[in-house]
Amino acid sequence: MSIVEISGLKKYFDAVRAVDGVDLAIQPGEFLVILGPSGCGKTTLMRMIAGLEKPTAGSIQINGADVTELPPRKRGVSMVFQSYALYPHMNVYNNIAFPLKAQRREKKFDKATMRGKVESIAKLLEIDELLDRRPRQLSGGQRQRVAIARAMVTQPAVLLLDEPLSNLDAKLRANARDELKDFQRSSDITAVFVTHDQIEAMGLGDRIVVMEKGKIQQIGSPQHIYDEPANEFVATFLGSPSMNILRGERHNFGFRPEHFLPKTLQDNPENSVSFVYFVKRVEYLGSDRLVYGYIGGHENKLTLAKVPSNVRVSLAIEDEYEFAVQYDNIKYFDEASGERIKAPADFAR
Amino acid sequence: MNALNFLLTNFWSLLVLAFLGLVALRIVWRVWRYGATRAELRHVLRRSPFYFVVLVFCFFAAAPFMIMFLHTFKTDSDLYRRPQPFVYRDEPTLEHLDALFNNTAYLDFIRNSVLVGVAVVIITLVLALPAAYALARLTGRWGERAGILMFLVYLVPPTLLFIPMFRIVVLLGLKDSPLALIVVYPSFTVPFSMWLLQGFFKAVPPELEEAALVDGYNRVEAFLRVVLPLSLPGIISTVVFAFTLTLHEFIYGLVFIADTSQRTLSVGVPTELILGDVYFWQPLLAAALIIAIPVGLAYNLFLDSLVQGFTMGAVKG
Repeated sequence: MSIVEISGLKKYFDAVRAVDGVDLAIQPGEFLVILGPSGCGKTTLMRMIAGLEKPTAGSIQINGADVTELPPRKRGVSMVFQSYALYPHMNVYNNIAFPLKAQRREKKFDKATMRGKVESIAKLLEIDELLDRRPRQLSGGQRQRVAIARAMVTQPAVLLLDEPLSNLDAKLRANARDELKDFQRSSDITAVFVTHDQIEAMGLGDRIVVMEKGKIQQIGSPQHIYDEPANEFVATFLGSPSMNILRGERHNFGFRPEHFLPKTLQDNPENSVSFVYFVKRVEYLGSDRLVYGYIGGHENKLTLAKVPSNVRVSLAIEDEYEFAVQYDNIKYFDEASGERIKAPADFAR
Repeated sequence: MNALNFLLTNFWSLLVLAFLGLVALRIVWRVWRYGATRAELRHVLRRSPFYFVVLVFCFFAAAPFMIMFLHTFKTDSDLYRRPQPFVYRDEPTLEHLDALFNNTAYLDFIRNSVLVGVAVVIITLVLALPAAYALARLTGRWGERAGILMFLVYLVPPTLLFIPMFRIVVLLGLKDSPLALIVVYPSFTVPFSMWLLQGFFKAVPPELEEAALVDGYNRVEAFLRVVLPLSLPGIISTVVFAFTLTLHEFIYGLVFIADTSQRTLSVGVPTELILGDVYFWQPLLAAALIIAIPVGLAYNLFLDSLVQGFTMGAVKG
């Protein structure tokens, strides 16, 4: 049984359709990432799960109970905000204890129990040395840990995370990503993580929900979404550089730059499609060479190839080469809707 | 006495000389102690006109208080001879302070003023805190308009309002009682404080409240436990401001209360200590100074957050 069940959820801000009919089932213990460009409605969706935003239509169930009309405090969810939203007038101990103090009114437990809970979560997140400090005396990484500790201390049903890594610098971010994943796996909590960063999404998510214009475009494992995009949006949004999309006679078709290689390098050339490739510019990126050029017959569209640096092929500017893509690496999309379609039987360019 | 007279008659030239002396001393000190370079010395010289202007303004700001203090202890003959504000030519005397406290209702004025001030501040906070919070969080077109509309009330001058207000005060049977002022003063302290508080509340990020909501509190608790403590400096400066507004209000105090013992400071002092064209200068200045000092200190303590409150309300974001 799923722990969060969302059906037909909509949120309109006047004329703007922030979330436009979302159905989603979140499984217990999974790390679900909601991925999309800014303004796609992913944060609004999360805020509706938290109860901070009232849906225009639709319903949300948590643990089998309808919480659509309930205020945030009665939903059993907790949230880590993008800015962490630590209370600046309280020290770290009181920040973490704040949700417990709210619970103390109903579930009677004494101060010692509360202190024990705070200290054990602080130890787990390695911030037990900082309990007397104020938030402004902490580094970005420490603040993030305090925010997670505060969210986790009540052992919520669902942990919501709104781009919690975006305020960290790049080096710290990779580290924090690792720790977050470890922490989630060991504590077995259900996490919903909102981000616009595909690397974060691919690295963290058990499943990824790709959103655009308030609608879910695709749900699936990182690999499934990358290899089998459901439509042109997902295909081009994921991957860097993004998938090359070309206009065919009846359908659009696309292939990823890393699959577009000189024909001589293809494993089985008889199973691939060849193109005449006119090289315009080559960028050396260390591990790869990024090649910008045109395919014969598609001169209006810049096509990219990503050739590993360890492949010794000379690629000169303003020269023509024979490049190829394996058949099964070519994806076809409907020209009008952008939806993925099966490979046409008679496909030849 | 001659030296003193010379000092006083040449006060301004001496001020300039003293300043130039200070600049010279500073240069000598820097060269001797740090071996200052020519560029550094030029910097000191270039900054000195700025400090001179600051010094003059400081003198202008402080002089009234100095003069008030010195005059309090002067005898009449000393005061009315050719004025020398900074010098005692007769022995200082306490007779005017004695007169102020024992022969006038000065203590009653203080008591009434404090009573009215405290009561009005409490009423103001009770009304303005929730109103300001609501306006700060109603970010739509509606909230802003409502806020401006309420502030407009503050701009209607008391000189226009005191006649209709007088009728109300009489109808309520509060004439000649400080209660009349407690009822009327919130009409200008509330809109003003609300405007000020709104700025402080807007500076508290909404995310903090949302965090409190998710952490298990309702909106009122989130306000009390998160927003209120964070805007405490602002609230205190609002209290200081509202209190001084009541302290220097004149026209309502004059019109609504005719009984001397029921009057407040701002009305009582000038009506008691100025009789026709006779000014009792020494007690008058003493009365003003005794009140001005605590208020001035309070203002100084909260000056920064007060300025913040005004600008935060004015600028969006």
